[in-house]
Amino acid sequence: MTDAIRIDGLTVNFGGVHLFSDLTLAVAHGEKTTLTGPSGSGKSTLLRCIMGFAPCAGGNVFVNGENVTHQNIWQVRGQLAYVAQEPELGEGMTRDALTRPFSYRINRRLAYDEQAALRLFAAFLLPVALLEKPAGALSGGEKQRVALIAALLLQRPILLLDEAASALDNASKQAVRDYLCARDDLTILSVSHDIREFALSGAIANMTEIQQETPS
Amino acid sequence: MSASDITYPQLAAGYALLLLPLGMFLWYGVSLISETVLSVLRMTAQLLFVGFYLQVVFQWNNPWINFAWIAVMVMVADASIVRGCGLRVGRFAFPLAVALLAGVLAPLLLFLFVIIRPNPILDARYVIPIAGMILGNCLRADIVGIRGFYEAIHKREKTYLTALAAGATLQEAVLPFMREALEAALRPTIATMATIGVVSLPGMMTGVILGGADPMTAIKYQIAIMLAIFTGTAITVTLAIYLTLSGSFTPYGMLDKDIFKSGKHR
Repeated sequence: MTDAIRIDGLTVNFGGVHLFSDLTLAVAHGEKTTLTGPSGSGKSTLLRCIMGFAPCAGGNVFVNGENVTHQNIWQVRGQLAYVAQEPELGEGMTRDALTRPFSYRINRRLAYDEQAALRLFAAFLLPVALLEKPAGALSGGEKQRVALIAALLLQRPILLLDEAASALDNASKQAVRDYLCARDDLTILSVSHDIREFALSGAIANMTEIQQETPS
Repeated sequence: MSASDITYPQLAAGYALLLLPLGMFLWYGVSLISETVLSVLRMTAQLLFVGFYLQVVFQWNNPWINFAWIAVMVMVADASIVRGCGLRVGRFAFPLAVALLAGVLAPLLLFLFVIIRPNPILDARYVIPIAGMILGNCLRADIVGIRGFYEAIHKREKTYLTALAAGATLQEAVLPFMREALEAALRPTIATMATIGVVSLPGMMTGVILGGADPMTAIKYQIAIMLAIFTGTAITVTLAIYLTLSGSFTPYGMLDKDIFKSGKHR
């Protein structure tokens, strides 16, 4: 069976600076991998490469066995859900941030399910009243959880999280972690600079250990 | 009946007006003196040239020459908009020229063939001033709209990427930015239309009145030109953004930072 995510000899230079090279990583279906490493080691960029947001200098990214190219990235994104570090929810109310993705053609077969959203609000210890608040007025921790809910509502099989719990208090962190680890159907690659702060149940991968040659 | 001519000595007296603002600049130490003098000289030279040129064009009154003059105006506007937006000329000059040409010709042709119907229909006296007014008024709005669009995507990249991550196509992801750009570009024209006549007597109306027409004719021209300007602006902004879209993003949908001229966007 193919891996949900496979990264093969990936090399990335960013703004002329060498970030990482010959990086290899595989995440099996349903696995929950935490990727760690020092700040600036390219963890976030790795997630951005998978999403097609950052250019790769060499190597390949496979999502569900498919080699990601500029031609299929638009379809591949339909299998990935991504929560950026310090996410922005866009204009309008919080509910707009949740419903907006369902207006995109690729998500038309789905419909916004308010009940499912409310269940996630409860699971992540968020007050329902936030739905009626301007999305821009939410706190960092609230934005992170709303962005995670928006990603989960799209029912994508693979979830990419970039420091998704960095602004959360311990109780919320625990709630998010419990929910994610209980979802057997989800493949998760979560980036965390400090695994004592936030780590999922599966393997821990260290940026420095998954490269052939460490950057000098 | 038509506007009485101004003799050159009389016009020279007009320049004497300048002594007042220049004196103020001198008194308050405003460092705009040389800039003002240079601008006035440029204005004089450009208008003298155009006045001379238009005399000739009006005499020939040949549709092809009129069209060629519109093309020249479009190219000059094109260069000034791309520069005003801080975008790279090589990437934007051609698509923007197409957008400007469409945005000028569509309302202009409606103006000529339906609203005024001069004889001959492509009379230089109508074609060139009307095209010039539409183009001149589009200029600032186009800069606001096009620049605002690309700057907003650059500044709020996260919001844009959130849309891409959720599976949006390029068109879907830029839609909110497109909406904002159109709003920003057109709002001043909308405000102008709401106060026109009360706050200011617009240039074209003044011109038509000075030309000897009665005020009712003048306001009809003014209404038609305002509608043409508004439509022309909407067409050029929308078209300019759509035509530059494919060249301004990577195949992965990322904004190509090379479209900006200066290095501050890196």
